[in-house]
Amino acid sequence: MLFYSYFKTLVGKEVTVELKNNLAITGTLHSVDQYLNIKLNNIRVVDERKYPHMLSVRACFVRGSVVRYVQLPPGSVDVELLHDATRREARGG
Amino acid sequence: MDENITLPPNIEDIPPPGLALVEELDKLLLVQLRDGRKIIGTLRSFDQFANLVLSDSKERIIVAEQYAEIPLGLHVVRGENVVLLGELDAAREPPPGLQLVSEAAIKQAQRAEREADKLKGTLRSRFFDFLDDI
Amino acid sequence: MAATEEDNTVREPLDLIRLSLDERVYVKLKGERELRGKLHAYDQHLNMILGDVEETVTSVEIDDETFEEIIKTNKRMVPYLFVRGDGVILVSPPLRS
Repeated sequence: MLFYSYFKTLVGKEVTVELKNNLAITGTLHSVDQYLNIKLNNIRVVDERKYPHMLSVRACFVRGSVVRYVQLPPGSVDVELLHDATRREARGG
Repeated sequence: MDENITLPPNIEDIPPPGLALVEELDKLLLVQLRDGRKIIGTLRSFDQFANLVLSDSKERIIVAEQYAEIPLGLHVVRGENVVLLGELDAAREPPPGLQLVSEAAIKQAQRAEREADKLKGTLRSRFFDFLDDI
Repeated sequence: MAATEEDNTVREPLDLIRLSLDERVYVKLKGERELRGKLHAYDQHLNMILGDVEETVTSVEIDDETFEEIIKTNKRMVPYLFVRGDGVILVSPPLRS
Protein backbone atom coordinates (compact mmCIF):
# COMPACT_ATOMS: atom_id res chain seq x y z
CA MET A 1 0.00 0.00 0.00
CA LEU A 2 3.08 2.27 0.20
CA PHE A 3 2.88 3.63 -3.34
CA TYR A 4 -0.91 3.81 -3.31
CA SER A 5 -0.71 5.95 -0.16
CA TYR A 6 2.08 8.03 -1.64
CA PHE A 7 0.28 8.69 -4.93
CA LYS A 8 -2.80 9.78 -2.98
CA THR A 9 -0.71 12.62 -1.53
CA LEU A 10 0.04 13.76 -5.11
CA VAL A 11 -3.61 14.28 -6.07
CA GLY A 12 -3.99 17.74 -7.61
CA LYS A 13 -0.32 17.89 -8.62
CA GLU A 14 1.02 17.68 -12.15
CA VAL A 15 2.75 14.43 -13.12
CA THR A 16 3.99 12.86 -16.34
CA VAL A 17 3.01 9.24 -16.85
CA GLU A 18 5.16 7.28 -19.31
CA LEU A 19 3.53 4.17 -20.73
CA LYS A 20 5.10 0.94 -21.92
CA ASN A 21 4.07 1.83 -25.49
CA ASN A 22 6.19 5.02 -25.15
CA LEU A 23 3.19 7.36 -24.97
CA ALA A 24 3.91 10.04 -22.34
CA ILE A 25 1.03 12.02 -20.85
CA THR A 26 1.31 15.06 -18.59
CA GLY A 27 -1.71 15.97 -16.52
CA THR A 28 -3.13 16.79 -13.13
CA LEU A 29 -3.43 13.69 -10.97
CA HIS A 30 -7.14 13.26 -10.28
CA SER A 31 -7.11 9.91 -8.49
CA VAL A 32 -5.33 6.61 -8.01
CA ASP A 33 -6.37 3.16 -6.72
CA GLN A 34 -4.57 0.22 -5.14
CA TYR A 35 -3.68 -1.26 -8.56
CA LEU A 36 -2.02 2.10 -9.28
CA ASN A 37 -4.52 2.81 -12.03
CA ILE A 38 -4.31 6.55 -12.59
CA LYS A 39 -6.78 9.22 -13.67
CA LEU A 40 -5.42 12.42 -15.16
CA ASN A 41 -7.17 15.70 -15.98
CA ASN A 42 -6.19 18.49 -18.38
CA ILE A 43 -3.84 16.22 -20.19
CA ARG A 44 -1.33 16.96 -22.91
CA VAL A 45 0.59 14.35 -24.80
CA VAL A 46 4.33 14.63 -25.29
CA ASP A 47 5.01 14.45 -29.05
CA GLU A 48 1.35 15.06 -29.84
CA ARG A 49 1.78 14.79 -33.61
CA LYS A 50 2.73 11.13 -33.28
CA TYR A 51 -0.51 10.36 -31.45
CA PRO A 52 -3.29 12.20 -33.33
CA HIS A 53 -6.00 10.09 -31.68
CA MET A 54 -5.21 11.81 -28.36
CA LEU A 55 -5.91 15.32 -29.71
CA SER A 56 -9.56 15.20 -28.65
CA VAL A 57 -8.92 13.58 -25.26
CA ARG A 58 -8.82 15.96 -22.28
CA ALA A 59 -8.99 13.54 -19.34
CA CYS A 60 -8.02 9.91 -19.13
CA PHE A 61 -7.80 6.72 -17.09
CA VAL A 62 -4.53 4.82 -17.46
CA ARG A 63 -4.46 1.16 -16.47
CA GLY A 64 -1.73 0.63 -13.86
CA SER A 65 -0.25 -2.38 -15.66
CA VAL A 66 0.76 -0.31 -18.73
CA VAL A 67 2.71 2.30 -16.76
CA ARG A 68 6.50 2.28 -17.09
CA TYR A 69 7.38 5.45 -15.16
CA VAL A 70 5.75 8.37 -13.43
CA GLN A 71 7.80 11.55 -13.27
CA LEU A 72 7.11 13.12 -9.88
CA PRO A 73 7.02 16.83 -9.04
CA PRO A 74 10.29 17.50 -7.12
CA GLY A 75 8.57 19.70 -4.52
CA SER A 76 6.34 16.89 -3.31
CA VAL A 77 8.90 14.18 -2.62
CA ASP A 78 9.67 13.95 1.09
CA VAL A 79 12.56 11.49 1.05
CA GLU A 80 12.70 11.02 4.85
CA LEU A 81 9.03 10.11 4.89
CA LEU A 82 9.55 7.66 2.02
CA HIS A 83 12.52 5.99 3.75
CA ASP A 84 10.51 5.50 6.96
CA ALA A 85 7.49 4.17 5.10
CA THR A 86 9.67 1.80 3.08
CA ARG A 87 11.37 0.39 6.21
CA ARG A 88 7.98 -0.08 7.84
CA GLU A 89 6.67 -1.85 4.73
CA ALA A 90 9.81 -4.06 4.51
CA ARG A 91 9.21 -5.18 8.09
CA GLY A 92 5.91 -6.54 6.86
CA GLY A 93 3.76 -3.58 7.84
CA MET B 1 -14.96 -18.21 3.36
CA ASP B 2 -15.26 -16.47 6.70
CA GLU B 3 -18.92 -15.99 7.41
CA ASN B 4 -18.36 -13.63 10.29
CA ILE B 5 -17.49 -10.66 8.20
CA THR B 6 -17.30 -7.55 10.30
CA LEU B 7 -17.23 -4.07 8.92
CA PRO B 8 -13.99 -2.15 9.38
CA PRO B 9 -14.15 0.71 11.89
CA ASN B 10 -14.30 3.25 9.11
CA ILE B 11 -15.39 1.93 5.75
CA GLU B 12 -14.16 5.13 4.11
CA ASP B 13 -10.58 4.06 4.90
CA ILE B 14 -10.85 0.95 2.74
CA PRO B 15 -10.05 1.66 -0.90
CA PRO B 16 -12.63 0.58 -3.47
CA PRO B 17 -11.74 -2.54 -5.50
CA GLY B 18 -10.35 -0.64 -8.47
CA LEU B 19 -10.69 2.93 -9.57
CA ALA B 20 -14.32 3.70 -9.98
CA LEU B 21 -15.14 4.37 -13.59
CA VAL B 22 -18.61 5.35 -12.38
CA GLU B 23 -18.06 8.93 -13.51
CA GLU B 24 -17.39 7.64 -17.03
CA LEU B 25 -20.56 5.56 -17.31
CA ASP B 26 -22.78 6.47 -20.28
CA LYS B 27 -20.09 8.78 -21.65
CA LEU B 28 -18.52 8.53 -25.07
CA LEU B 29 -14.96 7.31 -24.57
CA LEU B 30 -11.92 6.48 -26.61
CA VAL B 31 -10.33 3.21 -25.54
CA GLN B 32 -6.79 2.51 -26.63
CA LEU B 33 -5.93 -1.19 -26.75
CA ARG B 34 -2.53 -2.83 -26.29
CA ASP B 35 -2.32 -3.73 -29.99
CA GLY B 36 -2.63 -0.02 -30.84
CA ARG B 37 -6.26 -0.05 -31.96
CA LYS B 38 -8.60 2.72 -30.85
CA ILE B 39 -12.22 1.97 -30.07
CA ILE B 40 -14.82 4.67 -29.52
CA GLY B 41 -17.97 3.77 -27.65
CA THR B 42 -20.31 4.51 -24.79
CA LEU B 43 -19.25 2.91 -21.50
CA ARG B 44 -22.10 0.81 -20.13
CA SER B 45 -20.35 -1.35 -17.54
CA PHE B 46 -16.95 -2.14 -16.01
CA ASP B 47 -15.36 -4.14 -13.20
CA GLN B 48 -12.20 -4.10 -11.06
CA PHE B 49 -10.07 -5.51 -13.92
CA ALA B 50 -11.19 -2.69 -16.22
CA ASN B 51 -13.14 -5.19 -18.31
CA LEU B 52 -15.46 -2.90 -20.25
CA VAL B 53 -18.80 -3.03 -22.00
CA LEU B 54 -19.06 -0.51 -24.83
CA SER B 55 -22.21 0.12 -26.84
CA ASP B 56 -22.46 1.63 -30.33
CA SER B 57 -18.72 1.17 -30.59
CA LYS B 58 -16.61 1.81 -33.65
CA GLU B 59 -12.95 1.44 -34.45
CA ARG B 60 -11.26 4.70 -35.40
CA ILE B 61 -8.37 4.23 -37.79
CA ILE B 62 -6.05 7.17 -38.39
CA VAL B 63 -3.42 7.08 -41.13
CA ALA B 64 -1.47 10.32 -41.61
CA GLU B 65 -4.13 13.06 -42.06
CA GLN B 66 -7.00 10.70 -42.88
CA TYR B 67 -9.35 8.80 -40.64
CA ALA B 68 -12.29 6.43 -40.88
CA GLU B 69 -14.66 4.81 -38.41
CA ILE B 70 -15.78 1.21 -38.71
CA PRO B 71 -18.95 0.26 -36.81
CA LEU B 72 -18.50 -2.60 -34.32
CA GLY B 73 -21.69 -2.46 -32.25
CA LEU B 74 -21.71 -3.86 -28.71
CA HIS B 75 -18.30 -4.93 -27.44
CA VAL B 76 -16.88 -6.44 -24.26
CA VAL B 77 -13.21 -5.52 -23.91
CA ARG B 78 -10.98 -7.65 -21.70
CA GLY B 79 -9.30 -5.43 -19.10
CA GLU B 80 -5.74 -6.58 -19.65
CA ASN B 81 -5.86 -5.23 -23.21
CA VAL B 82 -6.84 -1.75 -22.11
CA VAL B 83 -4.08 0.86 -22.22
CA LEU B 84 -6.17 3.92 -21.54
CA LEU B 85 -9.67 5.33 -21.55
CA GLY B 86 -9.98 8.89 -22.76
CA GLU B 87 -12.86 11.23 -22.22
CA LEU B 88 -13.56 12.93 -25.54
CA ASP B 89 -13.83 16.69 -25.73
CA ALA B 90 -16.85 17.34 -27.96
CA ALA B 91 -15.36 20.66 -29.04
CA ARG B 92 -12.34 18.85 -30.46
CA GLU B 93 -14.21 15.95 -32.04
CA PRO B 94 -13.26 14.62 -34.50
CA PRO B 95 -9.60 15.60 -34.01
CA PRO B 96 -8.92 18.82 -35.91
CA GLY B 97 -6.94 18.56 -39.14
CA LEU B 98 -8.14 15.05 -39.98
CA GLN B 99 -10.16 14.25 -43.07
CA LEU B 100 -12.90 11.62 -42.99
CA VAL B 101 -12.51 8.97 -45.72
CA SER B 102 -14.22 5.67 -46.53
CA GLU B 103 -13.43 2.36 -44.86
CA ALA B 104 -11.96 1.09 -48.14
CA ALA B 105 -9.71 4.13 -48.51
CA ILE B 106 -8.35 3.93 -44.96
CA LYS B 107 -7.70 0.18 -45.23
CA GLN B 108 -5.74 0.82 -48.40
CA ALA B 109 -3.73 3.58 -46.71
CA GLN B 110 -3.13 1.23 -43.75
CA ARG B 111 -1.88 -1.51 -46.10
CA ALA B 112 0.48 0.92 -47.83
CA GLU B 113 1.81 2.03 -44.44
CA ARG B 114 2.31 -1.59 -43.34
CA GLU B 115 4.12 -2.44 -46.58
CA ALA B 116 6.51 0.45 -46.02
CA ASP B 117 7.14 -0.73 -42.44
CA LYS B 118 7.62 -4.30 -43.61
CA LEU B 119 10.16 -3.21 -46.20
CA LYS B 120 12.18 -1.60 -43.42
CA GLY B 121 11.80 -4.78 -41.38
CA THR B 122 12.98 -6.96 -44.28
CA LEU B 123 16.06 -4.84 -44.73
CA ARG B 124 16.71 -5.31 -41.07
CA SER B 125 16.19 -9.07 -41.01
CA ARG B 126 18.24 -9.49 -44.19
CA PHE B 127 21.06 -7.73 -42.44
CA PHE B 128 20.78 -10.07 -39.47
CA ASP B 129 20.62 -13.13 -41.78
CA PHE B 130 23.79 -11.85 -43.33
CA LEU B 131 25.35 -11.62 -39.89
CA ASP B 132 24.35 -15.22 -39.20
CA ASP B 133 26.15 -16.35 -42.35
CA ILE B 134 29.54 -15.04 -41.33
CA MET C 1 14.79 -8.15 18.08
CA ALA C 2 16.87 -5.01 18.39
CA ALA C 3 16.32 -2.54 15.58
CA THR C 4 20.00 -2.34 14.65
CA GLU C 5 20.32 -6.11 14.48
CA GLU C 6 17.22 -6.34 12.37
CA ASP C 7 18.51 -3.69 10.00
CA ASN C 8 21.72 -5.50 9.16
CA THR C 9 20.51 -9.03 8.64
CA VAL C 10 20.09 -10.37 5.14
CA ARG C 11 17.59 -13.23 5.08
CA GLU C 12 15.96 -12.76 1.71
CA PRO C 13 16.81 -10.97 -1.57
CA LEU C 14 14.83 -7.85 -0.79
CA ASP C 15 16.85 -7.28 2.40
CA LEU C 16 19.78 -6.36 0.15
CA ILE C 17 17.65 -3.70 -1.44
CA ARG C 18 16.59 -2.43 1.98
CA LEU C 19 20.26 -1.90 2.77
CA SER C 20 20.55 0.19 -0.41
CA LEU C 21 17.98 2.76 0.73
CA ASP C 22 19.25 6.31 0.31
CA GLU C 23 22.15 5.01 -1.80
CA ARG C 24 22.72 5.19 -5.54
CA VAL C 25 21.69 1.99 -7.28
CA TYR C 26 21.78 0.61 -10.81
CA VAL C 27 18.51 -0.76 -12.20
CA LYS C 28 18.26 -2.75 -15.42
CA LEU C 29 14.84 -2.74 -17.04
CA LYS C 30 13.09 -4.45 -19.93
CA GLY C 31 13.43 -2.78 -23.33
CA GLU C 32 17.17 -2.02 -23.11
CA ARG C 33 16.69 0.60 -20.42
CA GLU C 34 18.98 1.31 -17.50
CA LEU C 35 18.61 3.67 -14.55
CA ARG C 36 21.14 5.06 -12.12
CA GLY C 37 19.73 6.94 -9.18
CA LYS C 38 19.27 7.26 -5.45
CA LEU C 39 16.81 4.74 -4.02
CA HIS C 40 14.19 6.46 -1.90
CA ALA C 41 11.40 3.86 -1.71
CA TYR C 42 10.50 0.37 -2.88
CA ASP C 43 7.94 -2.35 -2.16
CA GLN C 44 7.68 -6.13 -2.60
CA HIS C 45 6.85 -5.77 -6.33
CA LEU C 46 10.07 -3.76 -6.81
CA ASN C 47 8.08 -0.65 -7.56
CA MET C 48 10.55 2.10 -6.71
CA ILE C 49 11.07 5.81 -6.37
CA LEU C 50 14.50 6.98 -7.49
CA GLY C 51 16.00 10.48 -7.22
CA ASP C 52 18.48 12.27 -9.52
CA VAL C 53 17.94 9.56 -12.08
CA GLU C 54 19.92 9.08 -15.23
CA GLU C 55 18.08 6.92 -17.76
CA THR C 56 20.00 5.27 -20.60
CA VAL C 57 18.07 3.77 -23.52
CA THR C 58 20.03 1.67 -26.00
CA SER C 59 18.68 1.02 -29.49
CA VAL C 60 20.11 -0.58 -32.60
CA GLU C 61 19.30 0.94 -35.95
CA ILE C 62 20.25 -0.35 -39.36
CA ASP C 63 21.24 2.16 -41.99
CA ASP C 64 18.96 1.45 -44.99
CA GLU C 65 21.73 2.21 -47.49
CA THR C 66 24.87 0.78 -46.00
CA PHE C 67 23.34 -1.89 -43.70
CA GLU C 68 25.59 -0.50 -41.02
CA GLU C 69 24.56 -1.26 -37.50
CA ILE C 70 24.23 1.95 -35.53
CA ILE C 71 24.03 1.57 -31.78
CA LYS C 72 22.39 4.60 -30.24
CA THR C 73 22.33 5.45 -26.57
CA ASN C 74 20.00 8.16 -25.38
CA LYS C 75 20.50 9.58 -21.91
CA ARG C 76 18.31 11.92 -19.91
CA MET C 77 18.06 13.14 -16.32
CA VAL C 78 14.85 13.06 -14.26
CA PRO C 79 14.65 14.61 -10.75
CA TYR C 80 12.28 12.01 -9.26
CA LEU C 81 10.96 8.91 -10.95
CA PHE C 82 8.46 6.26 -9.89
CA VAL C 83 9.37 2.98 -11.61
CA ARG C 84 6.81 0.20 -11.96
CA GLY C 85 8.26 -3.07 -10.67
CA ASP C 86 7.09 -5.34 -13.50
CA GLY C 87 9.70 -3.81 -15.81
CA VAL C 88 12.63 -4.42 -13.48
CA ILE C 89 15.18 -7.09 -14.46
CA LEU C 90 17.78 -6.46 -11.77
CA VAL C 91 18.77 -4.03 -9.05
CA SER C 92 22.42 -3.67 -8.22
CA PRO C 93 23.39 -2.27 -4.79
CA PRO C 94 25.39 0.94 -4.29
CA LEU C 95 27.90 1.94 -6.89
CA ARG C 96 31.11 2.45 -4.95
CA SER C 97 32.80 4.91 -7.24
